[in-house]
Parts: sequence; structure tokens; C-alpha cells
Amino acid sequence: MIVALLLLIPFITALALMFLRPTQQAKNVALISTLASLGVVLFAWSAYTGGTVIHYNMDWVPAWGLRFVMGYDGVGLLMLILTAVVFPFIIAAGYGEKLQHPSLVNALLLFTQTFLFGVFLAQNTLLFYIFYELSLIPVFFFLLYWGGEHRRAITVKFFIYTLLGGLSLLFGIIYCLGQGAGFNGDFATIGALNFPLSTQIWLFWVLFLAFAIKLPIFPFHSWQPDTYAMAPLQGTMVLGAVMLKMGLYGIIKIVLPIVPQGVIHWQETVIVLALIGAIYGGIIAFRQSDLKRLIAFSSLSHVGLLCAGLFAWNSYGVSGSLYQAFAHALLVVCMLYISGAMKERVGSSEMGAMGGLKLRTPRLAALFLLVLVNAVALPLTQSFVGEWLMFAGLWQVNGWLAFAAVSTIVLGAIYMLFAYQRVMLGPDKWALEMTDATTRDHLVLVPLIAVTLFLGVYPGPILDLVDVPVQQLLSSLSLN
Amino acid sequence: MSALVLISVLGVVLLYLGLFGNRGLLAPVGIVGLLAAFVFFAADWQLENALFAGLVQFDTYARSFSMVLIVVTVLLFLFGIDYYAKVRENVAEQYALMLFSLIGGLLITSFSNLIVLFLGIEILSIPLYILAGGKRDSFRSGEAAFKYFVQGSFASGFLLLGLALLYGSTASFDLPAIEAHAVSIGTGTDMLFLLGLFFTIAGVAFKVAAVPFHFWSPDVYEGAPTLVTAFMSTVVKTAAFAAFYRFIGHMQLPEAVHTMLILMTVCTLFLGNIVALRQTQFKRLMAYSSIAHTGFLLLAFLGFDARTPDVLFYYLGTYALATVGLFIVLTLAKRAAKGDEHIHIFRGLFRSNPWLAIVTMLLLLSLAGIPLTAGFVAKYRVFVLSLANGYLLTTAFAVVMALVGIYYYVIVIREAFTPGERGLQLVVAPLNWLVISLCGIAVVALGVMPGLLRM
Repeated sequence: MIVALLLLIPFITALALMFLRPTQQAKNVALISTLASLGVVLFAWSAYTGGTVIHYNMDWVPAWGLRFVMGYDGVGLLMLILTAVVFPFIIAAGYGEKLQHPSLVNALLLFTQTFLFGVFLAQNTLLFYIFYELSLIPVFFFLLYWGGEHRRAITVKFFIYTLLGGLSLLFGIIYCLGQGAGFNGDFATIGALNFPLSTQIWLFWVLFLAFAIKLPIFPFHSWQPDTYAMAPLQGTMVLGAVMLKMGLYGIIKIVLPIVPQGVIHWQETVIVLALIGAIYGGIIAFRQSDLKRLIAFSSLSHVGLLCAGLFAWNSYGVSGSLYQAFAHALLVVCMLYISGAMKERVGSSEMGAMGGLKLRTPRLAALFLLVLVNAVALPLTQSFVGEWLMFAGLWQVNGWLAFAAVSTIVLGAIYMLFAYQRVMLGPDKWALEMTDATTRDHLVLVPLIAVTLFLGVYPGPILDLVDVPVQQLLSSLSLN
Repeated sequence: MSALVLISVLGVVLLYLGLFGNRGLLAPVGIVGLLAAFVFFAADWQLENALFAGLVQFDTYARSFSMVLIVVTVLLFLFGIDYYAKVRENVAEQYALMLFSLIGGLLITSFSNLIVLFLGIEILSIPLYILAGGKRDSFRSGEAAFKYFVQGSFASGFLLLGLALLYGSTASFDLPAIEAHAVSIGTGTDMLFLLGLFFTIAGVAFKVAAVPFHFWSPDVYEGAPTLVTAFMSTVVKTAAFAAFYRFIGHMQLPEAVHTMLILMTVCTLFLGNIVALRQTQFKRLMAYSSIAHTGFLLLAFLGFDARTPDVLFYYLGTYALATVGLFIVLTLAKRAAKGDEHIHIFRGLFRSNPWLAIVTMLLLLSLAGIPLTAGFVAKYRVFVLSLANGYLLTTAFAVVMALVGIYYYVIVIREAFTPGERGLQLVVAPLNWLVISLCGIAVVALGVMPGLLRM
């Protein structure tokens, strides 16, 4: 029931929006739909008692052994919560945007949500792949229609880049389907493949490439900054907050179980690449003059850290990475919302044109500061918990790697505070009146900030959720 | 048997109808006749049916392909009503020639004797030479017909030489006898047999436009009237592939022939996809995309196992559906653009004809092989098959080429969905609308429930 609701609520609403085109009410309808999905997910969370919950398990095309298996475990549930929590705010961010055809915009966003739910609910590698690719299509049209400059070229680049990973993943999955006795693609039987080490070494990259591009980690990131900067605000939110988490989820659910030895073999390489990306992203972010581009590169930096933490493959690193994934989603939405709010007032997201806004919009400045403390991972914020866990995990692998990882925090503090300075501080050079944070701004930012602070003080609920699955993963790793 | 006779008589009836000026009746009579033939095939379902003293074997395989050929021809006839509405002369001949060509197609999907293979391919091709030149006052059309004719005759020569060599080596035209001979050779060499196989395969590969026998296809596709192009890339291609598999599917191939097939697959995949990247004329793009799909189909050929016929059947059926729909959209857009075929004519289609744009997108996504469309399932099954038979690197190469393919289809989608611009106002006749919608819906339905289309 929960699975059906999660897929059908956004899907049917999206279809209705697409065909009925209620221009005036589109945003309200979409908001109600996402809130309903959130309710369903929270219900699922309250009813969850551990283990893997399978809701559907049936034949799809019996002749070819295709099955339709949907359900979730702790990690999947975390991702569902993340998606469900973030989407109402993404829709709400649309109230400030003057995009044409709001019913189509919201329909595309809801289609994306449907497919994202599908990705996190799928308990079968092929279903996972299908939803994974499908989630691209609404985003493709969203970027193509409502994107900024050079959208035609950038959108296709983004699409092809991501599909390159997707097809590589498909190849890997088909290879596994053909090889493993007793493997029908279900996650339940995925650990039984036991390829020899020589196979695992190359198969790792075939499977990992998709997620390395999706996250993205260095050197597969070249699509990301342009796409983030060009995409409309809500598009960047979807990409940065939720879609890249598919990469993290995919590594845990597909790459690790199929090629555990390959993962160990390439562990340090991936950590080093991810950290190069993290530091590189931080340095480039500092040089950006456009607030949205800065957020894009800061996201690259954060994601590098997420991936490095995950590849520590110890309980600190993995739970820290998952926890931080959640924190990062909220953070990205907050940051982008603020950049949108600034653009609404000043007319561009160029930081050189801003400055002195604190005097005009003190409340917005205060909200920005609260978001910023989360971004630089100050203690008592959600990011602090996640990053601390990841550093602890990396420390167990190698002290120098942990050192490199910690340096990204310093970089983060530098570029974030510098951005704040350029946007908010300085002399007041604005002659015109400017509205301070509106009710809508408060309604979006305050709950998100409240959640980040609450989970920063009391991370228990989320960590409990992932604890058992992470222990299981790690024990399967040590068995090999 | 009854179906074959029916379709042949139908062609003659159409010719007479044209002679007495009943133009309005041509397509309806043709469609009714074809549907009757379809019922004949469906009624004899599952019966082994040997005709003409065993020269032709209507087994499940032949029947399934025949039914797909007939259905696609019906779709094209439905399209023909609007397509030929403004044409004054020789309409009846065009319908009749398509039916005669279809007879050839039916024969080569069911042959069990190589004489029938040759006859079938000739019956299939000769009407096509005329059809390609169907627009008598068009220079391009004439060029297409001439090129097709010259190169086609050359290929027929190859085929005939191959068949003669095979006869020389095995003293029989019977397919089972030749298969038995191939087994008896084992790992030894029989140069005559090898050359015979080689030339026969070359002759058939010409029909499916596999590299290096593909040179005719872009020019002929571009020059021929669009309806004929659609006919060639669906009915003819499906029939030729069915024949190709029938010929080598159960044969124990010598190592050299096997290597040649692999080379052909790789070259076809590479050339079709890479050259398609540079195309700006939609018909040429479809021609190269057709070559690319030939490559994927050949990949399914490499590893023969029990699943291969079904995989081919599914792939060809869904490919034909998507292609017919796209060629109809092309005709409509080309008409609105006064004869232009550049992919720019699709620009802004979404604003002027939203439903048409959505269906076009679905059809292109299916050709590209994006999940939940039939094209994805088709490619997926081909990859499963070739990986299961151990062609790791060839499959990896095909996957990369599939990505290249996605690029050029997405470029067309991007044109259709370019924001801000209002595209050409297409005039869509109700029947065309129906056929296009049918193709679009079928492509999605078969993608979600792939079990619906099977042998």
C-alpha cells in the first residue's frame, strides 16, 4: 500500500497537472501532493521496525525472468524520507519563480519525484536501473525549457554524460545476470555472486562509473557546474539535493554487494579521487563571483567528502556519509533558496552586484547566517555530526587522508564566509526600498533550519535507522 | 497458401481498380484484403505447413514474421490514403507493387529451399526498384531508383553465385541438407562451401544494409518517396532479417564465417552510429539509424541459442512500429515546410502540436532505447543474449554505440521541444493521427508489458 501510494500520488497529480493545466492552482496542487507523500513516508517510518520490508514481489515477464520487487530497508527509507522532506520545499521555492507554464513545471517536478521514489523503492537491479534512467527524462525537459543561457548545449551534455554512466551500469547488470547462478537481479540474492578478484577489479569500474558521474566525483564532474548554474532554481535543487543521492544509494545497494573485493581493491584510489574533487571544488568555489555557481562548486566539494567517507567502509564512515547525505540535501535547498531570494530582490545572482544587503534585509541576513553555520559544519548543526563521523571513519583508514578531508572544512568556511561578506556586509549601496524576508521565505527556511539544528543536537533517529543495514553491509564486506 | 494467393490476387485486383478509376477504393480494399490474409495466418496458427513440395515451410517462425509484415503493411496503407490523396497518376500501381513486394517478403521468411530464397528476394526487390522511382518527375527519386537497381542487381549476382557454389558443394538447395553438410564438415575446410556461404551472406546482408553492403541505403532512403522509404525500412528490413536468420540460424558456421559476422557487426554498429551523428537531413538520419539498428540486430545473431528468433522478432516488430510513426510525422512536417527535410522542421513542434510532439518523443526514445519504451527492452534482450554467449567486448562496444545513438535521437527531440518557438502548423488527417497515436501507445505498452509481443 505504502509503495503504491508513494508512486501513484505524485504520478497521478503530475498527469492531472499536465492535462488539465490549472495554471492558477498548479503550485498549490503540487504542494498538497508532496505533503501527502511526506505524510505517507512519515507513516512508513513510524511503522518501520527494521529489516527489509517487501511490499510487492511478483513476476513481470516470467519468460525472461524479469521480476517486479518493491520495498525498502533502513537505507532506502532514509532516502525516501530525504526525498519526501525536500520536495515540498522545492515546490514552495517555485512560488518565488516567475516561470512560464507553472502547471507543466510542477508536473515535471512531480514526475521526477515519482521516479526518485521508484529508485529508492526498487529491490531489483533492473527496476533500479529503469527508474534511475527515467528520472532523467523529466529533468531533461525541465532544463531544456526553463534553463538559462546555453541550455540547449548544456542539457544535452548533461543527458549524454549521465546516460554514459547509465549504460555502463546496464552492461554491468546484464553481465551479472548472465553469469551468476541463482541471481535473478533481486537485491536479496545480489551478494551470492562471488566473482573472482580479477573480474571484480574491472567490473567495479563498470558499475561504479554510473554513480561516479551521478555524484559526481573528480574527474567525472565536468557536466556538473554548468548544469547547476544554468538550471532553473528548482532544477538545481532537485539535482543537488536528491538526484545525486541516487549515486550514493547505488554504490551501497549495487556496487558493494556485487564486487566487495573490487571495492576494497580500489578503496584508496576512490578516496583520493573524491578528496581531490572535494579540495578542488572548494578552491574553485572561492573564485566564483556568481552565488549559484559558488553553490554548485561547494556541492562538488561536499559530495567529494560524502564519497570519501563512504569508501572508508567502516561504521563511522558509512553512517556519517548517509547522515551527511541527508544534511546536504537540506543544506542545498536552503542555500539555493537564499540565492533565489537574493536574485528576486537584486535582479541577478552576481555577488559583485550585491553587498550591504544586511541593512536592507536584516531578517534574510539572519536566516542566511543560520544556513551558513550549517554549511561550514559548526558544532550543534547537522553537518557537524555527519562530517565528524566521516573524518573519524577516514582516520581509521589513513591519517593523511583524514587530514586532507578536514582541510575541506577550512576551505568551506573561507568561501562561505567570503560569500556572506560580499552579499550581506559592506556599505549600503542600494537606493531603492527592498522587501525583507517574506512570510513565504520564513515558511521555507525556518522549518528547514529547525530540522538541521534539531538533528544536529539529537542525531539519534537518523543514525538508528541506518545502523543495522550498515552493520550488515560491513559484516558482508569483512566476510570476503 | 491461401494467404499467399489472396495477397497476389489482391495486387491484381488493385491494378484493375486503378484501371477503372476507383481511386477511393484502393486503400480500403487493400487493407481489407490484408486483414483477411492476416486472419488466414492466425487461423493456421501453430500448424506446420509445408507448401510447394516442401520448398516453403510455414512454421511458427515464418507465421509470426508474416503477421508482423502484414500488420506493418496495413499501417502503411492507412498512411497511404492521405499520402496519395493529391497524387493523380499511378497510385494503384504503387499499392499493387507494395503488395507484390510483400509476397516476396513472405516467401523469404518461410523458405526452406534456397531457390525460394533467391526468388523471394527478387520478388521483394524488383517492385522496390520501381517504387523507389515512384515520383517520376523528381530527379532525386530517379537517382534513388537507378542506384538501388544497379547495386541491387550486383547483390543479386553475388547471391546467385553463392547459391551456385553451395549447390556445387552440397548438391542440394534444401536448407536441411545444407545444414547437415555443414555439420559433416565439422572443423575441416571446404573452400567451395565457405565461399558459397560468404557470397550468399553478402547478398542477404545487402538487403539488411549491413556494412560494407550499405552504400545504397542513405541515397535510396533519401530519394525514394517517404512512404516507400518507410516500407523499405520496416517491411523489407524485417523480411530480410527473418530470411537471414532462417538461412544461418540453425547452421553450424565455419570459424571464418563467424569471424566475418563479428567484423560486420562491429563495422555496422560503428559506421551507422558515427555517421548518423553528422546528419542534418532527417531522412538520411533515419537511414543511418537504420544501419545502426542493423548492427544491434546482427549482434543478436552472433550467439545462436533458443532465444534468438524471439529476440529478433521483438526487436524488428517494435523497430517497425517506431519507424512507421516517425516517417508519418516526417511527411506531415515536410509538407508544412514545403519539402524541406532538415531536422529544423521539427523545431517548436511541441507548441504547435503538443500531442504529436509527445508521440514523436516516445518513438524517438524507443529507437534510442530509453527504459519503459519497447526499444529499451529490445536492446536489453540483445545485450543479454550476446553477453550470455560470451561476446563481452563486442557487447561493450555496442553499449557505447547505443550511447552515441541516444545523442542523435535526443538532438531531434530537442528540436521538437525547443522552447519559445512556435513550430510549423502541421495538418494532421484523422487517419494519420490514429496511426501515429497507435504507434506511440504501442511502443510504450510493449515497453511496460514486453510479454505481449512474442512468437
